[in-house]
Amino acid sequence: IFPLCCCSQEIQKVALRSFSSSVRRQLDNKVPQKQKLFQNDGIPIHLKGGTADALLYRTTMALTILGTGYVVYELVKAAFPKK
Amino acid sequence: MAHQAHAYHMVDPSPWPLTGAIAALLMTSGLAVWFHFHSTTLMILGTILLLLTMFQWWRDVVREGTFQGHHTPPVQKGLRYGMILFITSEVFFFLGFFWAFYHSSLAPTPELGGCWPPTGITTLDPFEVPLLNTAVLLASGVTVTWAHHSIMEGERKQAIQSLALTIALGFYFTFLQAMEYYEAPFTIADGVYGSTFFVATGFHGLHVIIGSMFLAVCLLRQIHFHFTSEHHFGFEAAAWYWHFVDVVWLFLYISIYWWGS
Repeated sequence: IFPLCCCSQEIQKVALRSFSSSVRRQLDNKVPQKQKLFQNDGIPIHLKGGTADALLYRTTMALTILGTGYVVYELVKAAFPKK
Repeated sequence: MAHQAHAYHMVDPSPWPLTGAIAALLMTSGLAVWFHFHSTTLMILGTILLLLTMFQWWRDVVREGTFQGHHTPPVQKGLRYGMILFITSEVFFFLGFFWAFYHSSLAPTPELGGCWPPTGITTLDPFEVPLLNTAVLLASGVTVTWAHHSIMEGERKQAIQSLALTIALGFYFTFLQAMEYYEAPFTIADGVYGSTFFVATGFHGLHVIIGSMFLAVCLLRQIHFHFTSEHHFGFEAAAWYWHFVDVVWLFLYISIYWWGS
């Protein structure tokens, strides 16, 4: 999972770095670590990333259920117009 | 722990198809509620749910492919077929709007003055901003191809630069088109000319924005080392989509901006 706010700063650093090979803040390849973290162990993929996954899932599901209830309410209300 | 004896991908159970379907329900019902009862709550809720679904669904696809290795050659082939079929469906979507345009413009009714462009419509000069827009998108097609070759050749820095340039060109197109919309001497309410112009170019603009977002995600993934020189289908899918957007613009430019002026 990649950070949402990967700002232009990071892009600039990676894109404009040219001749200097001296120490600078470099983006490391974290894919092998991610590959280890996401090993098959029974937890479904949408929750395997940890707490953040679970929070995001619960928020989404809560909105889904609330939304379903709200839309049924609105549709029933619309179907029986008040005179 | 069980290991599969085949190269295909048996996906983990996922909640996102359900949340996506509910999002679609909320967005469509919300549209109707907005029209009749002037409340946008339901529609906005649906849009939020749609964005959450898209983010988590595609995050999971990246996890399954890049981190779990499920995108074997047969699976990748299926993904390729899927993207091609999706783009084909989008072609048919745009065909409908081109049909509408040619239906009205090839046989202009007496109400329009029997001519095209209709009486009273000041069209945009096709050799001003629209021509610049054409150059911008064509250039972006070159830069995205440059990005592809850079990825295949393992040139990390060049891939990042050319992909970023492609996205910048996409944003430049969107900005120019927004300016054109603001300055246009006619509106969507100006008869069938206005309708065909803004619906066709409007949906195209939406697809430019979608394509730019897709490429931006690819840029982030490229920066984070997700793509290898042999395996980078996410990028290829984005590039295909981008070329499709470019081709639609070329048809729009020739038909509506140039022939139709």
